[in-house]
Amino acid sequence: MAAQPKTLPADQPSYLEGGGILGWLTTIDHKRVAVMYLVSALFFMALGGFEAMAIRVQLWRPDNHALSAATYNAFFTMHGTTMIFLVVMPLLLGFFGNFLIPLQIGARDVAFPRLNAASFWLALVAGILLHLGWIRGGLPDAGWFGYANLTERYFTPGLAIDWWVIGLLVSGASTVLTGLNFLTTIIAMRAPGMTYMRMPMFMWSLMVTSILILIAFPALTIGLIFLLFDRFFGTHFYVASAGATPILWQHLFWLFGHPEVYIMALPAFGIISEVIPTFSRKPLFGYPMMAYSICLIAFLSYGVWGHHMFATGMGPVADSAFAITSMLIAIPTGVKIFSWIATVWGGSLRMTTAFYFALGMLIEFTVGGLSGIMHASAPIDLQQTDSYFVVAHFHYVLFGGVMFTIMSAFYYWWPKITGRMLDERLGKWHFWLTVVGFNLTFFPMHFLGMWGMPRRTYTYGADMGWMRLNQLETIGAFILGIAFLFFYFNLFKSVASREQAPADPWDGRSLEWSTPSPPPAYNFATIPQIRGRDAWWILKYGHAGSRGVAAYMSGQAPSQPQPSQPASVEDIHMPAPSIFPLVLSLGVGMMGLGLIIDWYRIILIGAAVAVLSIVGMGFEYADFGEESHDPEHAPSSGGVDVRKIGMWSFIGSECVFFASLISTFIVYKSRSVSGPGPQILNIPLTSFSTFILLMSSLLMVLALAATQRGDKRWERIWLGGVIAFGLIFLGGQVYEFTSFYHEGMGLTTNLFSQSFFVLVGFHGAHVAIGVLWLSVLLAAAMTGKLGQSRALSVELAGLYWHFVDVVWIIIFTLVYLMQAVPGA
Amino acid sequence: MIGRGSNRYSIATIVMQIAIALAITGCSATDHPMTTLSPKSDLAQWIQSLYIDVTVWDAIILAIVVCAFILAVFVFSSRVGEAAPASTASSDLGLEIAWTLGPTLVLVMISVPTVRTIFRSQPAVAPAGALEIKVAAHQWWWEFDYPDGAKTGNELHIPANRPIRLLLASADIIHSFWVPQLGGKRDVVPGQINELTFVATVPGMYPGQCAEFCGLSHANMRFRVFVDSPDDFAKWDRAQLAGPAAIPATDLLALNGANVFANSPCTTCHMIQGISKGYIGPDLTHFGSRTTLAAGVLKNTPENVAKWIVNPQGTKPGANMPALLLPGPKMNALVAYLEGLK
Repeated sequence: MAAQPKTLPADQPSYLEGGGILGWLTTIDHKRVAVMYLVSALFFMALGGFEAMAIRVQLWRPDNHALSAATYNAFFTMHGTTMIFLVVMPLLLGFFGNFLIPLQIGARDVAFPRLNAASFWLALVAGILLHLGWIRGGLPDAGWFGYANLTERYFTPGLAIDWWVIGLLVSGASTVLTGLNFLTTIIAMRAPGMTYMRMPMFMWSLMVTSILILIAFPALTIGLIFLLFDRFFGTHFYVASAGATPILWQHLFWLFGHPEVYIMALPAFGIISEVIPTFSRKPLFGYPMMAYSICLIAFLSYGVWGHHMFATGMGPVADSAFAITSMLIAIPTGVKIFSWIATVWGGSLRMTTAFYFALGMLIEFTVGGLSGIMHASAPIDLQQTDSYFVVAHFHYVLFGGVMFTIMSAFYYWWPKITGRMLDERLGKWHFWLTVVGFNLTFFPMHFLGMWGMPRRTYTYGADMGWMRLNQLETIGAFILGIAFLFFYFNLFKSVASREQAPADPWDGRSLEWSTPSPPPAYNFATIPQIRGRDAWWILKYGHAGSRGVAAYMSGQAPSQPQPSQPASVEDIHMPAPSIFPLVLSLGVGMMGLGLIIDWYRIILIGAAVAVLSIVGMGFEYADFGEESHDPEHAPSSGGVDVRKIGMWSFIGSECVFFASLISTFIVYKSRSVSGPGPQILNIPLTSFSTFILLMSSLLMVLALAATQRGDKRWERIWLGGVIAFGLIFLGGQVYEFTSFYHEGMGLTTNLFSQSFFVLVGFHGAHVAIGVLWLSVLLAAAMTGKLGQSRALSVELAGLYWHFVDVVWIIIFTLVYLMQAVPGA
Repeated sequence: MIGRGSNRYSIATIVMQIAIALAITGCSATDHPMTTLSPKSDLAQWIQSLYIDVTVWDAIILAIVVCAFILAVFVFSSRVGEAAPASTASSDLGLEIAWTLGPTLVLVMISVPTVRTIFRSQPAVAPAGALEIKVAAHQWWWEFDYPDGAKTGNELHIPANRPIRLLLASADIIHSFWVPQLGGKRDVVPGQINELTFVATVPGMYPGQCAEFCGLSHANMRFRVFVDSPDDFAKWDRAQLAGPAAIPATDLLALNGANVFANSPCTTCHMIQGISKGYIGPDLTHFGSRTTLAAGVLKNTPENVAKWIVNPQGTKPGANMPALLLPGPKMNALVAYLEGLK
């Protein structure tokens, strides 16, 4: 071992110490939030694993009755939903991402710590909502991609799908907030000297993943909102008899769903790129290509969703286009595999459990990637899609690729996170049982698929010849289950032990290994200065890698850089704990619960609680803003305030939100089977309110200018003007909607009316939120709290306001003006 | 197809192709009646050829990766403590270009036949002389309507060596039509008519199954396709167009059963030409001529018919058919009548 075990100095309590239960409930420390994600994900992983075992028991023999059809359908639905939304993403992003982003880029916390805590609590609320069907209404049972129109209330009555819709909406909100937070953190809070090309590859992958989250999840949100309107308010977004098409759901879902695959895979690629160099004692091979290939994969992943829909009859042109773009993804992925092998090549390997899992991932993931090439070829996919072949494929990618990586990450970072080592001997058992169990479970599925066994079938006939392999798979699944028992036991044993892990047990390369294990709440006493890639390695051994290693081999102890000696810990100001993230999430949970069990009082209480806790967070933030050392207000490495970057990220995400709504409107506006169409629109009236809204943007500019020059009087006047104009616009909209109702066009009248009301209504809601926001600012201005130093608050509201206005210009053009043009 | 496609490859790949082709056709269709590896139509054959091409390329790539992996881990590296890393190189332009261009070339080799097969397998208009059959998917059974008016449920008969064009429509939600030996899946989507065009080449019985999750009894939405010789098909078609088989005057049991049927709730949903007009469930006019019932789940035997009528939910959870509890003699009569509907 390179570094000697160190004991913690008494003056550096670790982040795990102190605070009691309340300390955890109110924590906004990224490391504690990460640990809470861990606990919840470990629980859900056991639950999802149990569901998988039950599925395998039912498939043991033909015409088996271990599970009923209904239970089986619920179990495979919840197995997929749980593993994706409540296990893999929370582990990769919530646990490892949260814990390591600030530690690897040399920061004290993420950009928005309260938002981060809110993300966790929302994720937990989502997990609970998804499982409340155990108590009432039954578990969701339409598959993890819940294809419409099976999910319409007519075909699936009851509450099961309602829990699923609301649970996923909350989960999506949580994930988008996490993406926004991570992206801002990585862009803005890197330590001095850490350029993009010096970041650990895990940070690259998380940065790109965050962008993917921001632009992919809104498509799912829109799909779910349409489904929610169909189920609760009687619209027909996916009902063929109303002129709509259930295929719309598939487009929206896979527009999210395929990037989602890379939202899970890219962080895994990043982790592998950390583990392999460490245990090969070599720098990562082809760093620039590795970074670019992550970007390329993310870019391509947004143009391949159609390969999930080859069987739906998109036509040969679309099939060919999606086939080719899907194949292209293999190129950057191949670059990654070869670069990882080249990193190992010539290395001085330390065969730890973490490294075993990383090497195992290389092979298992390659198998999954190669069967993926088969699916990209559309005609082959028509034989393989929805068969067990595809089940084999995505388990090789998601278990062989991602879960192996997660296991590797556990063995690698556990000492840093808990201050305790995991047992290597148990770890090797865990590894080999996993390899045997995994391949025994999933490799035969390739053959079952080729022999025609469809997925999602609770039973099969004895004459199909599928029994033998199914039995082999069930045996494999139980071996895999035992492997997980070893894993859980290893975690338990490690936490129960008293042996202190060294700060740098693997002779690591990145900054987190420069902190004690576990790190103190503030991570770094002094923010380190970064001189190159593999920042900690350079601090230890100097720049020239080979010379450093020669020094290491000759038994020379690494120089002991001391970046974490605080000048005085009292100088470090960390944001205060807050109860509001938890309360906010409870409020959101009450809203969802109330909607489902049809109890409107609970919705109102929940909404009030949520709004009040947002306001409460705002006040905490504002009070804290006076502190000069506030990490939240530190200008970023690029000199731009983190809040501005966060707002721009949010706006980017909103673009996809509105783009999905607008595209749906364009597709549906002329497909109504009856009732009024676009000619009902009142263009003169809307032109007037459009003019008013545009003028409000002008006033917004003036308000910001007044604030920036400290002109309190005009600041109030212009802000008041923006609010007044916003209210006039909303009034016009209320008048317009009311007159439509009187003319016989309600929400559910036809496809035109429902896509119009949902699109324009959501825009109106954005305007209303903007008016509320500006009113709070105006109240602050009236009480003299909105001085020159707070100009940024006005600027942020302005950014939002201008964005909402720009969206309106697009809506006005596409929805209203295009109707006035003959022939459009 | 295999012969023409492989001209491009070296002798080594041809040998590998043959080996793989032997290995997979070794998985016989008798042991695995839903195998995708035993093509019995032009469409299935095209897919099979493409599949073999891609499998060969995949095998080559996997071999390269595994060899490189073994060399890297077990040969060209040392263990920590033994020696310093032999190389600390962190990039090599030549290598990186090679492993970008190599896979790109492979993908070109795969994508050309892929696109060709996509266009070939989805003709815009029906081939000349094609038999167009309307397929309606229901939760959870299949209805087949022939242009000459013949109608059947869950057992599709088609002539060999004549182009078949299936027009797929859904009565409720999304299903997927899949007969592995005759070709790939085609979804059945409400609000649109999807097409599946192929020429079956080998007479025989090929099982199929719904391949898109469609609710509680998705697993029980099976069916059979009978590829008949042209003569057999013509004979079958004539029989289907005729009304229900006449009951021999001596068969008192069946005559009694006809009476039971006519006065039962069965008539609400099931059609028997000239007797009942229901259309919610499958047409029973020629029920006795089918080999299975309950959408391919049960063999068509008197015991199974009785079992099905008494408790449809036991076989197919969620099925719309209500249980019909008849006293023993009446049930026997009804079953005898239905089985006589050849």
